[in-house]
Amino acid sequence: MATNPMHQFQVHRVGPEIKFGGIDLSFTNASLFMFISALVICLFLFLGTKEKKIIPNKMQLISELLYNFIAKMISDTAGTKAKPYFSFIFSLFVFVLICNMVGMLPYSFTVTSHIIVTLIMAMFIFVAVTVIGFIKHGFKYLSIFVPSGVPALLLPLITVIEIISYLSRPVSLSVRLFANMMAGHTMLKVFGGFVVSLGILGGWLPLSFSVALTGLEILVAFLQAYVFAILTCIYLNDALNLHH
Amino acid sequence: MDKDDGDFKTRLKIAKEKFNKDFLAESNKRGSFMGSAFRLGTELVAAVAVGTIIGFILDSWFDTKPWLIIIFFFLGSAAGMMNIIRTAKKMQKEE
Repeated sequence: MATNPMHQFQVHRVGPEIKFGGIDLSFTNASLFMFISALVICLFLFLGTKEKKIIPNKMQLISELLYNFIAKMISDTAGTKAKPYFSFIFSLFVFVLICNMVGMLPYSFTVTSHIIVTLIMAMFIFVAVTVIGFIKHGFKYLSIFVPSGVPALLLPLITVIEIISYLSRPVSLSVRLFANMMAGHTMLKVFGGFVVSLGILGGWLPLSFSVALTGLEILVAFLQAYVFAILTCIYLNDALNLHH
Repeated sequence: MDKDDGDFKTRLKIAKEKFNKDFLAESNKRGSFMGSAFRLGTELVAAVAVGTIIGFILDSWFDTKPWLIIIFFFLGSAAGMMNIIRTAKKMQKEE
């Protein structure tokens, strides 16, 4: 019985050790659960789109709902110019969502509770958005650091503040997802530990908390995936439509 | 069969409209509100952290400890405030 609530976040090797020029490339439980999530997504969407009926079955209904949901989100926040990036945002949302949801299963591992995973995703988005901005607008893209209607005296100060604000995007994006997932899972484990230590007499109260927290965690898992995707859309919007 | 088909199409259209209006609008709104609430907190902290880290790096470059870290801490706080005001404005616009 692992009573340490942080034990669930440990990354350990699954299978043989693979060393490649001093870098440890072994297959870990984190990679395993990323692989499982990707497999679940592929299988689900494959089965959901296999039969194209007018009256859909449940699988098809959920896949279509998912498609509509993302399509509407992109057109609402980033406009029609963001249509070419649909597949990227769809994959991002579904991957984060399924990773969070797979993490809710007992004995599983939550990939998104590790900051390195979320930070890499956020960094990729940040670099991609910056590159897209420079491709679309050239050096005029730098004008997002210079807001209009600012007195010349304050301009250097505001520009520095704007640059810090721009650089803080990947940090806030990744920390939000990571902190939410880690805090939630730690809390679940702590309450689970209370149930065991208080025994059959006193364990009912923490057990009921645990049940309620599980429901909340599922909501958070969905919400954080949604926030991750919608913020990507907002950043994309800033890059595509300069001075909104 | 033909009559049935036409009937079905109109029914589908009505159902779709109803679904879009009620369900999607409702769930989208609620989702984005809670999402924005989660957003505000990290927005401030991230900007302060990034500002302080920049100050720390510049300090070790120019050997000006501890002045730049202090200046950039305040600049980062200002950036965080600006982030929050911007997010709040966006939220109000959506309303």
